[in-house]
Amino acid sequence: MKFKAAFTDRGVNILEKRFVPAFEKIGKTCHVYLTRDHVILLHNVLNSDGVQAIAQLAKDAIFDDYRISSQNNDCIAFQVDLSLLLRALRSSVAMDGDKLQVKLVKKRASLTEKSMPFLTFESKGYRSAILQDVPISPPLSRADVADLQAALDAVQDLPPTLVGLPDLVALQALVERLKAVGEVLDVGLTQAGDLFLRVITAFVSIGTQFRHLRVLGIRGAAAPVDDTVEGSARLQRALEQGEASVVKVNMKHFVRSLQCHLTKPDACYCGVAPGNACLLMMFQYFAPGTRLTDDSISLQYRLPVLEQDD
Amino acid sequence: MRRPSSGAAASSRGGGASEFELVCRLECVQGLVDALTSIKWKKQQDAICELSEHGMLIVVEESSCLQGKVYFRKELFKEYQYHANVRPRFGVSLTTLVDCLNTFASTAGTTALELRYPGTDMELILRLTDESRMCTDAEIRTRIPDSVPYDFSIDDDDANEPPVSFAVKSSALKDAFEDLEWPGSSIQIALNPEPPVVTFRGEGHGDLQIDFFYDSQTDLFIAFQCDRAASFWYKYKFLRATTANIPGSILKDNRGSKLTIDNRGLLKVQHIISIRQTAAQVQQNQDSSLDGRMTDQSSRISYVEFYVLPDEEPVDVN
Repeated sequence: MKFKAAFTDRGVNILEKRFVPAFEKIGKTCHVYLTRDHVILLHNVLNSDGVQAIAQLAKDAIFDDYRISSQNNDCIAFQVDLSLLLRALRSSVAMDGDKLQVKLVKKRASLTEKSMPFLTFESKGYRSAILQDVPISPPLSRADVADLQAALDAVQDLPPTLVGLPDLVALQALVERLKAVGEVLDVGLTQAGDLFLRVITAFVSIGTQFRHLRVLGIRGAAAPVDDTVEGSARLQRALEQGEASVVKVNMKHFVRSLQCHLTKPDACYCGVAPGNACLLMMFQYFAPGTRLTDDSISLQYRLPVLEQDD
Repeated sequence: MRRPSSGAAASSRGGGASEFELVCRLECVQGLVDALTSIKWKKQQDAICELSEHGMLIVVEESSCLQGKVYFRKELFKEYQYHANVRPRFGVSLTTLVDCLNTFASTAGTTALELRYPGTDMELILRLTDESRMCTDAEIRTRIPDSVPYDFSIDDDDANEPPVSFAVKSSALKDAFEDLEWPGSSIQIALNPEPPVVTFRGEGHGDLQIDFFYDSQTDLFIAFQCDRAASFWYKYKFLRATTANIPGSILKDNRGSKLTIDNRGLLKVQHIISIRQTAAQVQQNQDSSLDGRMTDQSSRISYVEFYVLPDEEPVDVN
């Protein structure tokens, strides 16, 4: 089992400034799944509860020299502590070396101890070099890697309709305030491009409606609901026409997922998976200097749906 | 999405404003949030709201010994339509009200928040639609109040024994009350005309005395009116409640706090607060009226009041 690669400047930036900090906000650890073509970060995918996050990065977006080999079809997966990974990346960048390499190694502290796996970051400069060993879990078994792959394959199953999210910073400010009111958030999406967020408790029903958001996938086939119709009635009518979905999610999960803004997405979409399986947030990134979607980077969050109480 | 059944009904009759006893529009949502936060001294707290042709009064009480009041005059509203024959009075969770208003404060740009009362289930209805067609609404449940708030008052014009009073910077008063936490229990507030001084003294786990000298601390005092010595004791937790939750923005403004004590020891703590506007609202008001700024300054002041009943003087066991 071997893995060795050299970071590109953009690749370090993507991980150190954007994706690893965003993942650190939703959990302490994540799985790193390396294949011949991709570096994939997966959070919480082997558990059923909590927010799942999957970032898929093409190897060329991160590395310029990439070598991997293993008996499991050249796939390697392990778990890593995100704060340690971030610290190693930050100090490597701070050193401002000419070249930053990463490789998988096994080391033992003393002859009597069992050797442990590490991800070693080697930053080489003109006068000095820094080696940092980040401890990782033992490589995952074939069965666990197959589970990761299955989770990754499920990323392709998109909801039939995705509604664009409004400005993430404003949305975050709103949701942070709503968090004080209740612990469960009702999220409603219509094929006409409406997003409804509502908290209902014994004392209050409070919510916000965003209209005319961008829609990907299936749009409302029937005549759109009259614009003058107010919030809840508008959603109710869309539900009756089968052109809307409403799910309940944990408020903390939703708030945490909005930390995705750290990855600096250029477009964000939200949708309800078929059968109300989960609330999905999908993020797109433009290729540098263009307004074309960069297919080499993708990110998805999956929020578990709470049981409906009606 | 389930909503209280009243919601749709209330919304649908929204066109006929006269069906509501009160329909008003408020621009400075953050100002109301700041004022209400000042009288919220417990995590879960109930309040009584009274509406009148002059404005909105929100009252909070504890053990009949401490009362907090926020009075929002109708001039602070952009629009105030009052249609009730009898002044409506209802109970509401202050915690919920503050949390909801906070949500509106985060979304308010130049648009005013609309408040309506009552909905079909006697709820308080809030609604805000901004330019980007984002719409936030809330329906807050209200209840019939268990009791009528006691009408505390201090007669400033009492010719026989006029009340003593002093006004200082709010931040200094807050600091003094926080320092007095150490002795805890009961706190003595004493005013003396000669030399003019205000003394706060606590006895409990040790003694602590804080003196505000009127002659030497002129930058601290805004006013001092005392023609006789007065001294009363108050429960520390009640005194602390009068300053504990004043938002930092109000302290920064340094409008001042006035303490008045009548001959029976009833203490009134009055904070003067500026009702802040967002930069966008200020700009809009300036654009709409040439002399808008001057009108603004005079009408954008509100009061938060606390009444504290005196405690029994502690007995010296020694």
